[in-house]
Amino acid sequence: MRFRSLLLAVICVLAPTAVRAADPALPPASKSIEQVIDQLVDAAITDANVTPAGQADDATVIRRLTLDLVGRIPTTGEVDAYVKSTEADRRAKLVDRLIASPAFVRHQATLFDIMLNPEGDRRGSGAFRAYLTDALKENRPWDKIFREVMLPDENDAKLKGAADFLRGRVSDADKLTADVSVAFFGVNVSCAQCHNHPHVEDWTQDHFYGMKAFLARTFDNGGFLGERGYGTIKYKPTKGPERTAKMMFLTGATIEDANAKDPDAAAMKAEKDALDKAKAAKTPPPAPKFSARAKLVEVALKGENAEFFARSLANRLWHRFLGTGLVSPLDQMHSENRSSHPELLAWLARDTATNGYDIKRLVRGIVMSKTYSRSSRYEASENVPSFKTFAVVRLKPMTPLQLATALKIASTDSASFEGLKPAEFETKMEQIESSAKGFAALIAQPTDNFQIGVGEALLFSNGDRLMKEFLTDGTGTTLGRAKQMKEPKEVVEFLVKTAYGRTATEQETKALVGFIEKRKGREAESYRHVLWALVTAPEFRFSY
Amino acid sequence: MPRNTFCRSAAHAMDRRAFLGGAAAVGATVASDMTQLSVLAAPGANGALKKTQKRIILLWLAGGASQLETWDPKPGATTGGPFRSIQTDVPGLRISELMPKMASRMKTTCVIRGLNTKNGDHGSAAVTMMKGRRDEAALRYPDLGAVVAREMGRADSKVPDYVTFYTQSEGRSMAPGTSGFLGARYAPMELTTNNYPEFIKKLDGITDLDHLERGELRDLLGKQFGQGRNSETMSSQNEAYQRVRGIMASEKLFDITQEPQKVRDRYGPTQFAEQVLIARRLVEAGVPFVRVGRAWWDSHGQNFETHQEMVPELDHVMATLIDDLTERGMMDDVMIVTLAEFGRTPSINASLGRDHFASAWSSTITGCGIKRGSVYGKSDPKGQTVVSEEVDAGSLFATIYSALGLDPNKNYHVGARPIPLVNPGVLPIKAVLQ
Repeated sequence: MRFRSLLLAVICVLAPTAVRAADPALPPASKSIEQVIDQLVDAAITDANVTPAGQADDATVIRRLTLDLVGRIPTTGEVDAYVKSTEADRRAKLVDRLIASPAFVRHQATLFDIMLNPEGDRRGSGAFRAYLTDALKENRPWDKIFREVMLPDENDAKLKGAADFLRGRVSDADKLTADVSVAFFGVNVSCAQCHNHPHVEDWTQDHFYGMKAFLARTFDNGGFLGERGYGTIKYKPTKGPERTAKMMFLTGATIEDANAKDPDAAAMKAEKDALDKAKAAKTPPPAPKFSARAKLVEVALKGENAEFFARSLANRLWHRFLGTGLVSPLDQMHSENRSSHPELLAWLARDTATNGYDIKRLVRGIVMSKTYSRSSRYEASENVPSFKTFAVVRLKPMTPLQLATALKIASTDSASFEGLKPAEFETKMEQIESSAKGFAALIAQPTDNFQIGVGEALLFSNGDRLMKEFLTDGTGTTLGRAKQMKEPKEVVEFLVKTAYGRTATEQETKALVGFIEKRKGREAESYRHVLWALVTAPEFRFSY
Repeated sequence: MPRNTFCRSAAHAMDRRAFLGGAAAVGATVASDMTQLSVLAAPGANGALKKTQKRIILLWLAGGASQLETWDPKPGATTGGPFRSIQTDVPGLRISELMPKMASRMKTTCVIRGLNTKNGDHGSAAVTMMKGRRDEAALRYPDLGAVVAREMGRADSKVPDYVTFYTQSEGRSMAPGTSGFLGARYAPMELTTNNYPEFIKKLDGITDLDHLERGELRDLLGKQFGQGRNSETMSSQNEAYQRVRGIMASEKLFDITQEPQKVRDRYGPTQFAEQVLIARRLVEAGVPFVRVGRAWWDSHGQNFETHQEMVPELDHVMATLIDDLTERGMMDDVMIVTLAEFGRTPSINASLGRDHFASAWSSTITGCGIKRGSVYGKSDPKGQTVVSEEVDAGSLFATIYSALGLDPNKNYHVGARPIPLVNPGVLPIKAVLQ
């Protein structure tokens, strides 16, 4: 029994459930993304006999949208304007304003950087982030970004930052193979490096080495990416003689390589001379006549092969905004690990592929759905449905920069955001975000099933940076404004509104006012403690 | 990824996969991508074991101490080097003359002489020897400290449950403590700049009562928000804040001046000695796992001078710790382990150094359920290979877990997948268990 469960547990399978372009089971392509999301999610909720949570209130919706789209909490002015608005299309207007903001580009570039470089030590390449920022600014299609990352033009100053993805991995072709497959296709092939899958016939070492054959000719040539036009990958299977890997995409599609054989000595010398010349001149080396990497890009985006690429993008963006993937984990998209909503994933993949892998379009569709704007609170708390049903919204811990930026905004007097022109407001937010980066570096980047350690609680409880950089009471700060107020109740209502964007409840007003009144003569200090308690509580720490 | 090397040895140029014999996958994604981690879902499942409160002090000999100058000397062999061996209090067991104090205390200890761990790369070998196995591409295992913290610590513990000292800079980034899929709850408190943890003391500007009561306000706000909301991450945040006051109260454990001068003198004035003394204070207070890292044993040049300087310190501090724990009646509940990422080559290079060597090296285990005065494993006369009773990282860890009273086959669950403490089929060394 144990043996069997172990086998079942080894999840390394391929063969996605094929979805044809004209699959009659799917809702029509003419429907909007949000309509299809709600239709299919609601149908699954009904099938599961689950009662979904209601829609979140307006203050929660604007907080969630602002955090998810532009990476910060809204100001109290933004919340009030949204809550008071009676326009029927106010949510669409808000979403469009946020998506058009430069902060959307910055925040999404950060998230794409984390997505492509999940291991923190590979991030930090300013050039790669700058490339992503440029690309997202013009809403460059995801397939074009994929092409530019995989086939970077290092002669083009604007594009050469894209080369850092490959450059950081080129010394380890196995790692490069695994990372490319995970990042762009949602498939982790590295488990097939050493053995075929134990009980799924179609999953073999050929898949790993087939992918590796596309990538192993890439190398570092004096700081620039070089690629040889020849060279084969050999591997020793667990059974039988050594094999030469064919270039083979995840679907099993192979590429015939006329240049599989090494060239003669003279041709190799000519190539080496050209490479050395490029190295000496500090220029990118010439591309080979037959580029295996270019073939990978070509085959991966061709026809039905592109399902891997499209499904992975749809799944990852869904996960970004809903906190749970339609397939989880994100790198285990295969037939043994079924999607919670296979039709929805298939429809979204088809939709994004036929609409030019338009990131903004897909994002907008997801956040306009009623599924996205459900409440995270489930009143009958005994039987909270699984997050995989999307019947209740999952809390998302803020990223380090979201949290630090939110702290800055909550500790800045909300009056200082009033009356600014849109461009001035954007500039001010960008400055706030920049000033929050130092503190953000002390906070851990969340992952799925993230746990907050005692280290963070100690940092917030006893570190001096929170006090010195955020909870100060000079002019223009939240605490400075609070000092001008007369009544503890007024202060409490102001602080709760500033931190949480909502009115204080009776219970918390009583507790917080009581805390302040116990500290007569030390009002300023007590306000600071109250603000500390507000910003360290989960209502501040999470997007909910 | 360029690997940082401090010693500039030719050994680093060796292909890592050649070292590994073309074996397993290279880590590719983070374990945290696994969903439905259930390891935290069933607290108290091992309450009976926790009552016994076994604890570990791991003396981590970073960079790779030489087995030939410590536990497995080969005097007279061409590979033996200049030091002699001396008889210990265990009949037939001889160790390096650089360890006279341990030589008279080997009746307390078990020596594992047949380690063959197949990895001579600092970074990945350190991870393997901290975890007892290599990570899978999509699964990051917890290390020994995190497992012991999880199994022996209490959910509401007032003390940290995994503390690691590593104050030298060499090699520190290669062997960080890591809780893998167990998550941040079991991540170590790392001391890298001095012997005193960061943020453990309240700021001067706040009274103790205010510190306490603002924390209570926070808890109240948290409770209100948590109604009808279900999130393991949120629970972990609340737990983290609930542990703050307890951890702050453990501040004095790190303060060596609380210890009588006589005891401090006994351990000695070195940083390593002080950290081991703090480790004793911590385990005495119930901290389940403390690692004291001592760097940097990576003697590619001048191996014998390096060991002449560093081994006597290890000998003295380890012997003192054993005496101290014995006098306090703690040797049945506290285990001392000496371990590194690997040992050193028998062959002596042109710089009179020894290089990385994972084929036949040594470790020791003292205390808890380990058989005192035992020796397991034998290397050949030159120390090149293990000739009998070979041990790999997995069975070493299975032995450690068994000696702590833990079942190495106990499963954690990551999603539906059961993950035992050691890989399936890996067995403890019965011969060295009591």
